[in-house]
Amino acid sequence: MGKKSPEAAGRRRRMMYRALALMLAAVLLLPLVPYAVAYVGGITNPNPGADLWRQVRQRETPPEVRTQVRGVDTGVLINARGESWRQFRMEQLIPWSGWFLGGMLVAIALFYLLRGRIRIDKGRSGILVQRFTVNQRLAHWFMAVVFTILGLTGLVLLYGRFVLIPLLGPEGFSVTAAACKEIHNLFGPIFPLAVLLILFYFVRGNGFRGVDFKWLAKGGGLLGGHASAGHFNMGQKLWFWGTLLFGLSLVVSGLILDFPVFGQGRPVMEWAHFSHGIAAVLFIGGAFAHSYIGTLGMEGALEAMTHGTVDANWAKEHHDLWYAQMEAEGKVGAVPGQEAPASSGSPETAGG
Amino acid sequence: MSERFEQGVAALRRLMDARIVSYFSSCVHCGLCAEACLFYTETGDPKYTPIYKLEPMRKMWRQENTFWGKLGVKLGLTEPLAEQDLADWETLVYDSCTLCGRCSMVCPVGNDIAYMIRKEREGMVAAGYAPDGMKEATRRALEIGSPMGVTLKTLRATLKGVERNTGLAIPVDAQGAEYMTLFSSMEVVNFPEYIESIARIFAAAGVSWTISSEAFEATNSGIQIGDSKAAGELVGRVVSAAEKLGVQYVISPECGHAFTAIRWEGANLIGRPLPFKVIHILELLEQLREEGRLKLEGHTDIRLTFHDPCQIVRRGGVVEQPRQLLREVATEFVEMRDHGVMNWCCGGGGGVSANERAEPLRLQAFQRKKKQLDELGVETMVTACANCRIILEEGIEHYGMDVQVTGLTELLAEHLAGPAES
Amino acid sequence: MFLDFVEGPLWYAAAAVFLVGVAWRLAAIARAGLKEDLSVPRTAGAPGAVATVFRRFLPHREFMRPAAFQMVAGYAFHIGLFVLVLFAAPHVEFIEQRILGFGWTPAPHWVFLLAANFAFAGLLLLWLRRMLDPVLRRISTLDDHIGTGLTFVVMFTGCMALFESHDFLRALHMLFVDLLLIYFPFSRLMHAFTFILSRGFTGATMARKGVSA
Repeated sequence: MGKKSPEAAGRRRRMMYRALALMLAAVLLLPLVPYAVAYVGGITNPNPGADLWRQVRQRETPPEVRTQVRGVDTGVLINARGESWRQFRMEQLIPWSGWFLGGMLVAIALFYLLRGRIRIDKGRSGILVQRFTVNQRLAHWFMAVVFTILGLTGLVLLYGRFVLIPLLGPEGFSVTAAACKEIHNLFGPIFPLAVLLILFYFVRGNGFRGVDFKWLAKGGGLLGGHASAGHFNMGQKLWFWGTLLFGLSLVVSGLILDFPVFGQGRPVMEWAHFSHGIAAVLFIGGAFAHSYIGTLGMEGALEAMTHGTVDANWAKEHHDLWYAQMEAEGKVGAVPGQEAPASSGSPETAGG
Repeated sequence: MSERFEQGVAALRRLMDARIVSYFSSCVHCGLCAEACLFYTETGDPKYTPIYKLEPMRKMWRQENTFWGKLGVKLGLTEPLAEQDLADWETLVYDSCTLCGRCSMVCPVGNDIAYMIRKEREGMVAAGYAPDGMKEATRRALEIGSPMGVTLKTLRATLKGVERNTGLAIPVDAQGAEYMTLFSSMEVVNFPEYIESIARIFAAAGVSWTISSEAFEATNSGIQIGDSKAAGELVGRVVSAAEKLGVQYVISPECGHAFTAIRWEGANLIGRPLPFKVIHILELLEQLREEGRLKLEGHTDIRLTFHDPCQIVRRGGVVEQPRQLLREVATEFVEMRDHGVMNWCCGGGGGVSANERAEPLRLQAFQRKKKQLDELGVETMVTACANCRIILEEGIEHYGMDVQVTGLTELLAEHLAGPAES
Repeated sequence: MFLDFVEGPLWYAAAAVFLVGVAWRLAAIARAGLKEDLSVPRTAGAPGAVATVFRRFLPHREFMRPAAFQMVAGYAFHIGLFVLVLFAAPHVEFIEQRILGFGWTPAPHWVFLLAANFAFAGLLLLWLRRMLDPVLRRISTLDDHIGTGLTFVVMFTGCMALFESHDFLRALHMLFVDLLLIYFPFSRLMHAFTFILSRGFTGATMARKGVSA
């Protein structure tokens, strides 16, 4: 095989060139591999300063941080999400909820000016109908008191910085805020009991029926006209279910916030805070309307929750279906143990 | 301020002993006593709350025993107890309380509310505020010797009938007998069967007994109306009769408050220990049975229950004896849900039965007993108090129920074993 | 200043009024006297008195249902209150430094929290029922509401001061404690002592009759 073919020699030379070019390219590209790998899979940054900063800020990946301190999130030096939580609280939750609650009050005031107090059209008949039992009223007022305490202290914690510091000064606000925080955290766990009592004593009669949607279509008769209703109307039913919904949300988020000892980390706490704040504000707004219509807004409504009875004419005008049912059962006017309105404390002749 | 009213105030002041001062100091107005009172549970009217029936006495306590009360009265800020209060409370104190003492069993701070009402009645009666029916009964008891006006002549007539029916001689004024028996007027007039029964049982058991012609009446209207003087006078008659006959025991009959009057209040009313022992007829019968002197045979298979007379059971401590005796002769003895020391009153104790104007309320309160009976579905109710028996029968008739009422002693006499060998 | 006053002169004055007042009230009961009972007892009175003092901590079996509310709410409040008063860390410290000279192990925070929740829930339920139930409305007096209200405010301010971050809050709590102590002997709060006597009297009488009351 002494004689080389000129074709074969040319092929070999071309292969050599290609290999050389490939090697050259490989040499040139090799340093870029970490970059490429970093780009695709995200391992390390060759810049030690930036690497550290990223880990501290926890912006990118879960870092391999070791610490002697045992606990949830103890390896996190700066919580980057905290900034977005703070922004949400300061720039959205507080101003928007402030507008919402203020708006509710203005709307109620406007409603009062336009509609006035809703009177009993036919006046009082003097005949009483039992509307709520002692236990129902107890559940209601227990909720009312606990709700008010938690609501007020909660609002101080939310808006105190803006509203109270100008009024009380930083020192005064510090004392108030500390007190409110303790009360809020301490009364918090009583709230679930209040929600349970409400559920237990009011769930009967709060199921939705066809008549409720008619009531809703007529705007509850708030703006005139008559809307039929049973023991509870659609507004009350929505309020009942809303209480449970908001209540449940507040209970779950509140317990997460109040007892940070079950391994919940910051992200969970932040979500709990969002949901706690939003549910609370909506609930408080609803409570404004509820309190208004139950007291100033409607003649003869409050006594249902204080004495447990309502006037027959009130019942006919607002809960006609319920009244008809009570009448059929012979329960109108038969109110055992009801103190006569003009009771002087001296008993009348017994058994006479 | 009338003189009578002042007497009432003086009586209340005198009766404000350590117990009552402690009771008023302890009451936290929890309202639980209402749930124990049949006048409240059957009407739902809060004015029938037991502790509320003590408002006049509470006012007295407040103005005499508390700082705010004394100060308030002195400054004219607090209304002191007024005659009108007594007038207003008369019906609550007399018509809607049978002194049954159920409230005293449930008070969380341990107040004996029945005791307080018993004392409050002393003030009421001293001031002249008591129901006419009870005043009359007390007057008759003092003047004739019996609240129902039963005289010795009436008793002798009844005893004649008893002797005819039983064929036994009824000992009257038998010197040196061991036991002296008392009867309630109700038994003499309405239930002579009771007298026949004890005559038979005593003959069979060989009990040495007698009736005193001077003091045969067991009931004590003074206790019911709250007049200690009258009550003491009535107890005194029994004591002197018993002393004259030289008996060792005085038997209290099937009558509730009669037992309380002589057994628990007797010595205190006359101010010295009684010179004899007081024993309730049921205690004696159970004792005789245990000793083997009272022999019973046969039994009734009718489903029956026992109505506890408050003053004998809860306030008298004779709890187990009637049950023991009843089990001897009844195979189908069932208990009401609340029984024994937590029983419900018939509604006519504490003088309510002698108080005509209280009748409608009493019948309303009887619904409690009706519910208890309906729950059990029994046909026969045994009791051991002539007053309970009358009230129960009236209630049963009023509500058209089908229940027979009988006395325990009678039931036992029916099951007396063969001709006695004594 | 404020704190010095309520923990100094006012505290001593309040404690004195409390001690003297309670002693005076108890003496007044003793002074009212009791006539000797001449009836022949079935069983001795004294053991019956002791037995009833304890027995009345629970209602009779037959009365469990009617008494359920008062029992549950009442015990929630009373037990909660006792734990708070005797085992809250700042209280133990106060008792050690200012009253007895020795202390004991305070309750851990979670026990405190539980006790406070029970006490508040119980007191609120009892107080609200007093305002709503026709029977309780009929028999309640101003004293009942003042006593309950003061107790509530004392507990409330106590919880406000829980963090021990501000002297003012501690002083506020102490002020109401002083007021409560001063009010105590003149009020129905006395039941805390006299219930033993009342149960005892009734227990003794009923035991003499052979009834366990």
